[in-house]
Amino acid sequence: MTTIELQHFLAVGAIMFAIGMIGFVTRRNLIVMFLCTELMFQGVAISLIAFSRYNHDMAGQAFVIFVLVIAAAEAALALGLIVLLFRTKNTLDADAWREMKG
Amino acid sequence: MSELFAVKFSWLIPLLPLLGAMVAGFTGAKLLKGRSHWPIWIGVGLSAILSISLLVGMLGLWHAGQDLTVAKDLYKWIDTGNFVAWAGFWFDPLTAIMLCVVTGIGFLITVFAAGYMKGESGYFRFFAYLGLFIFSMTCLVIGSNFIMLYLGWEGVGLCSYLLIGYYYEKPSAREAAKKAFLVNRIGDFGFGLGIMLIWKAFHTVSYFGDGVGTNTGVFDLAQAAHLTAYQLTALKVIPFFLLLGAVGKSAQFPLYVWLPDAMEGPTPVSALIHAATMVTAGVYMISRCGVLFFGNQAAMVTVACIGAFTALLAAVIALRQNDLKKVFAYSTISQLGYMFVGVGVLAPVAGVFHLVTHAFFKALLFLSSGVVMHAMGGELDMRKMSGLKKVLPITNILMLIGCAALAGVPFLSGFFSKDAIVAAAFARSNILGGVMLFTALLTAYYTFRLYFQVFQGPLVIPEAPTDAHGGHGGHDHEQKHNHEPMLMIAPLILLALGAVFAGYINWPNRHASFGDFLGQCPSLKQGYEVAKASYGEVDAAALGQRVAGAEAEAPFTPVMAISAIVAIAGIFAAYELHLKRRAKAEQLAQAAQPLTAIIEGKFFVDEFYQWLVEQLRWLGSKLDGFDKFIDILVAVVGNVLQLVGFMLKTVFQRGYLQGYASAMLFGVVVILLCFFANWNWLWTLMHAF
Repeated sequence: MTTIELQHFLAVGAIMFAIGMIGFVTRRNLIVMFLCTELMFQGVAISLIAFSRYNHDMAGQAFVIFVLVIAAAEAALALGLIVLLFRTKNTLDADAWREMKG
Repeated sequence: MSELFAVKFSWLIPLLPLLGAMVAGFTGAKLLKGRSHWPIWIGVGLSAILSISLLVGMLGLWHAGQDLTVAKDLYKWIDTGNFVAWAGFWFDPLTAIMLCVVTGIGFLITVFAAGYMKGESGYFRFFAYLGLFIFSMTCLVIGSNFIMLYLGWEGVGLCSYLLIGYYYEKPSAREAAKKAFLVNRIGDFGFGLGIMLIWKAFHTVSYFGDGVGTNTGVFDLAQAAHLTAYQLTALKVIPFFLLLGAVGKSAQFPLYVWLPDAMEGPTPVSALIHAATMVTAGVYMISRCGVLFFGNQAAMVTVACIGAFTALLAAVIALRQNDLKKVFAYSTISQLGYMFVGVGVLAPVAGVFHLVTHAFFKALLFLSSGVVMHAMGGELDMRKMSGLKKVLPITNILMLIGCAALAGVPFLSGFFSKDAIVAAAFARSNILGGVMLFTALLTAYYTFRLYFQVFQGPLVIPEAPTDAHGGHGGHDHEQKHNHEPMLMIAPLILLALGAVFAGYINWPNRHASFGDFLGQCPSLKQGYEVAKASYGEVDAAALGQRVAGAEAEAPFTPVMAISAIVAIAGIFAAYELHLKRRAKAEQLAQAAQPLTAIIEGKFFVDEFYQWLVEQLRWLGSKLDGFDKFIDILVAVVGNVLQLVGFMLKTVFQRGYLQGYASAMLFGVVVILLCFFANWNWLWTLMHAF
């Protein structure tokens, strides 16, 4: 039975970030893409908390609380936007909005 | 000196006219309307009272034998690094005299203007500008440093522009305003350069520093025993730069062309700005900077020659002008030439003396011709009128006094002051004196040509004018019953008193003359020292200085007798040709062709300038072509970059959200690799761009 060290937390955070990133690049569904960004967020947050514990410094945790609050606010906003986008085009496919390229 | 009431409250002298201008300008359109002259009357009037109390107080101190100079710094106006300019005043006899002329005559003219401008549209605008002008002009004469002088210098230029263009709906007024502004710009360019050079050479712009004796001002430093080579060279050229400004503002050759056109402005403006005050700023400036000018022989010769040439040229042109105001405009240019000769031959007392007397009689003449214009409904052509003494009896007398003073009839003010200049010119050079004497003959002739033509002989009144003619037609029908309202005549009577008696303030050989008073001014005291160092022997009295053991001046000199004869000869010629045998004058003029045509064409100076400007415009168009070529080069660079951007856009910006995310990811990966994988070569490569 090995103890859970710093690097294990960091590995979880990195894996979550990577999954989120790959999901964002490969998927077309707006909601899934949005979820992927949330995943990347939380991966970074886990790293922050891990470092915070490791260094016995509460600043990292306080920072994560802020990140969570902002992420929640942003999620509310982004989901509302996605609902509006869906109502306009009746699809969630990101490619439906290609004409926005300018 | 500083305990004088007027010195304590001296800040009110410029401020009150400015406040009046603001009240008239901001409330005149809606609230004051036809009463807009009140704030200006009150502001300028109080300012005049303060100025006169300053002069009286100063005279009292002078008789008590006290020092007549004081510097009064109000606050630090500009303070940037080592350049400091104070909003400060400098008081000495020259300041006091100039202030009295500006505010005193200014007040009389604002009173006149209320009658003259009655019912004009933009009545409040006129008075607001007038107040602003008095503010600028008082700043010009009261300032204790060159920056204040420059402020006033530009301020009066602006007001002159605004007031010449007062009837802006008339194209000729607009053109005249622009011409005045542009020609003055040439002069002011030189003036500005002169001030910059003064600062660069002496690191101060103050006249006398904090006060006489502190030796921190430009004029003290310029006299220092040890000057650097740079300062010595600067002292040689500074007067010429300043002179360029004076030539522009005081309408001297070659920059005099704006003044005749400036007559497009309302007549009170011609009287105040373009005869009595603003145009004398150049003479004031040269007297004030006596230390810089009087020791510089080349500059002094230039001043005298410009003055003499201008005096003669303008007097000759005035011979064949038929517009009342144009005659007086050329006469003003000519008289300013006299003042320049005065300061140029090291007789600033005579120059400033003539400035004062000229302010009285020329303001009187302009305002009298304003009365004529008012009565004739805007008509100014003297060929269309004659014998007006029957309809304008008071104006007839006033005009006669003014003309006699200008012509130099003995014992009127113009006689004494002009004579002082002619005598000083003879003392320097016989040719110069001869030119001035001949100009005096022409002056007497053209002045009385106008007088005899307009006021004497059979009564001829011009036909009812159309509204289009002149700036002044159309509104005065209701006043036909009274051509000489008291509001306009009363100031004229005061001016006429000045025109008659102002000459006696410098009565020769009196113990306390104008010259002695003016000589208390440090500009002249120090100017006398530098002149003596440069010329060896100079006439101390002409600079207002007294030398122990010098013989007293005779009250009457031979030159006086000659110039009296000359004046009377000129008047007699005018009487013969323009009253007794009017047809003969035209015959003579026709006999003198093509000289007459050249004089009537004003020597074609305007045409020459027009040609010159067209050449410059041609050069400008060529340079503009070159500029366009550069523009094209710059545009090509921009277009190439735009093309690159367009291509990049079509390749990379395709609207796939994933594409953008991948690009971002790729970028982050590259940066991380640079940091962590020691890909320094890539780093260097990126830096290279």
